Amino acid sequence: MSPPCCGFLAQYTHHHLVAFLLTFFSYVLLHASRKTFSNVKVSISAQWTPTVQNVSLPAFSPIKTWEENKLFADSDEATMFLGALDTIFLFSYAIGLYVSGVVGDRMNLRYVLTFGLCGSAIVEFVFGTLTEWLQFYNIYLYCGLWVLNGLLQSAVWPCVVAVMGNWFGKSGRGFVFGIWSACASVGNILGAFLASSVLKYGYEYAFLVTSLVQFAGGVVVFFGLLTSPKEVGLCLETETGLSPVETDRDSHRPLMSDEEEEDRSEEVCDGGYYTIQQGDTEPEESHKAIGFCQAFSLPGVLPYSLAYACLKLVNYSFFFWLPFYLSRNFGWKEAEADRLSVWYDVGGIVGGTIQGLVSDCLGKRAPVLALSLLLAMGSLVGYSHSPPDQVVNGALLAATGFFIGGPSNMISSAISADLGRQEALRGSQEALATVTGIVDGTGSIGAAAGQYFVSLIESKLGWMCVFYFFIVMTGGSILFISPLIITESRTLWRDRQARRRQL
Amino acid sequence: MKAGCHQQQNVEAVLFIINVCLFGGYQLTELQVCHVCNGTVQNGTAIGQLCSASAGLLDGRCCLGRRENPSDADYVLGLDLSNCSLNYVDRLQEAATATMIDLSLNPLVSLDNLLFEGFIQLRHLILPAHLVCPGGNASWDKVEVKGESLYCEGQKDICNQTGHLSLTCPENSLCDPDGPGLYECNCVGDFHGYKCRRAGQFPIIQVLGPLGASTVLVSILLWVTQRRKVKSA
Repeated sequence: MSPPCCGFLAQYTHHHLVAFLLTFFSYVLLHASRKTFSNVKVSISAQWTPTVQNVSLPAFSPIKTWEENKLFADSDEATMFLGALDTIFLFSYAIGLYVSGVVGDRMNLRYVLTFGLCGSAIVEFVFGTLTEWLQFYNIYLYCGLWVLNGLLQSAVWPCVVAVMGNWFGKSGRGFVFGIWSACASVGNILGAFLASSVLKYGYEYAFLVTSLVQFAGGVVVFFGLLTSPKEVGLCLETETGLSPVETDRDSHRPLMSDEEEEDRSEEVCDGGYYTIQQGDTEPEESHKAIGFCQAFSLPGVLPYSLAYACLKLVNYSFFFWLPFYLSRNFGWKEAEADRLSVWYDVGGIVGGTIQGLVSDCLGKRAPVLALSLLLAMGSLVGYSHSPPDQVVNGALLAATGFFIGGPSNMISSAISADLGRQEALRGSQEALATVTGIVDGTGSIGAAAGQYFVSLIESKLGWMCVFYFFIVMTGGSILFISPLIITESRTLWRDRQARRRQL
Repeated sequence: MKAGCHQQQNVEAVLFIINVCLFGGYQLTELQVCHVCNGTVQNGTAIGQLCSASAGLLDGRCCLGRRENPSDADYVLGLDLSNCSLNYVDRLQEAATATMIDLSLNPLVSLDNLLFEGFIQLRHLILPAHLVCPGGNASWDKVEVKGESLYCEGQKDICNQTGHLSLTCPENSLCDPDGPGLYECNCVGDFHGYKCRRAGQFPIIQVLGPLGASTVLVSILLWVTQRRKVKSA
């Protein structure tokens, strides 16, 4: 079932290519601007606080330069608030995913996507640039804007997945989606690059540049995106024939299994509609959909959801806090820290791909997951003791990304798909979306809560305890899936024994 | 001048006011600090000598220096407020250029720490004997009491001292003297903005231009190749 190389490329037109690039870069730009916020945290917290000075000495003069802004008394308080903003963002993003899916279903995907991109670009501009230009710092305004940003950004992901699902059918999807799923990490890298190259002019320009680019992306999407082959008279004939029964067999074919899009789009095309039922959204809306509680009690769903909550917590903590940690702990310049944090994403891309391939070859996910998570705990210990050397730190970072980003991708995508296609579900088309929604939703809530805990632990106990927290969380995710690890390892071993006996 | 008088009143109750309103309006470049109390600088005093040595202009209690450019206002070279019955002094900013100030023979209780903020040229300060030199004795080359007066002579540059409290300004800024015992941390070179964290000017044209142009270009290109072919159902 592996994609036949030459034949399958020939079926694609330039429309496919444009749709691929537009959806890819939509999410790249979105993630780039998300990354910008985490990369300018040090600058923002400096802007919000007066200069810290020994109590016995007088404050630095002139006051306008050193003491004027007193939104927070010191950088610890500012750090707490920045952590709270991350939490707020993740919660509203999680909630928004459900809402925006419903909206996306009923309206033109192109409009929703443009609205999400441009709207969030404007909100980021107001948040980061306008408030600074007006010297207006207000925590309630910041919170309100970030809730709005979470809601607007959540409109993008279901739309790009739906568009991709419309254009790319089953044959070769593993390959196409494998490349496509790098968009979040590419976005992180682009965001880190953009932020670090303009940060010296002031953090407000980092927001300005990323929001301008994102807005431009929204405009281009509006004028260029075809949401479905149907729009230009191409048809979806290859995807409509597949029945849900076939997907069972299909889930065992070799594919780059680190892409969550794959399963959602399957949903899309199996339905054969060009108005899409978006992946992890509105399960209750669809016909014949399996109930939320019913899906929750499916075998494997609860363990993987909880495991993913732990893992996404760690993964997102790295995403949100890494540059801040690097510049605070090692005293490296913010731009240097941003550049270094890219290695975590590089590790995540490579890790997700390789581990997905390995798990495809084995036909089992949990053992690969368990091994990677064990190594992740080791690499976390190693990373927490990293010497203040940028090369060593970068290497350890890449390893940590490899072992944490890989499993995180796998659970959110391939494993969600496996769970949504299991025996107990046959005949219910909408189970996959519901299951993916539960896994992703639980993960997002875990990630949101984690941002609060990270800032709390950091300010009360220091960074070392944050790493212990990560290690415990990674261990927790192993614990939650341990029953599955045992059963899958057993069958794997039995299969091997049987094969050896045959020989 | 009347309006100015009211404004003054609104800001704070100052002992200068009456003097200002009485003596104000003589000349456009009136310096209020010179008319805090009656009388003029006496020839025999230190400030009188300074004034005749530097060809300054006497105006009330001040010795004024002339600028090169005639349209510029005069500036205070020396200020003699001795024997003025002052209980306190809270505004001297007009005399920030002075090299010599005499506040002796006044019933002053104390002086504000920041009274001499910005007085970087002040080299001779005469105070009632029971006061201390601003910034402490360490901020002056020579401190001595003669009769009822305290002489603070030769202001030290606090930024270039060794052995004294180390004045480490934050990153991207350097120490500049700002009066006796006082200093400022000013951004170095290209740095500016709050906490001197910003460097250079953002090249807004170089960013907006190409970005806008390429957005328009790509939009047109994609419209022509993609959305123009949409078949309306």
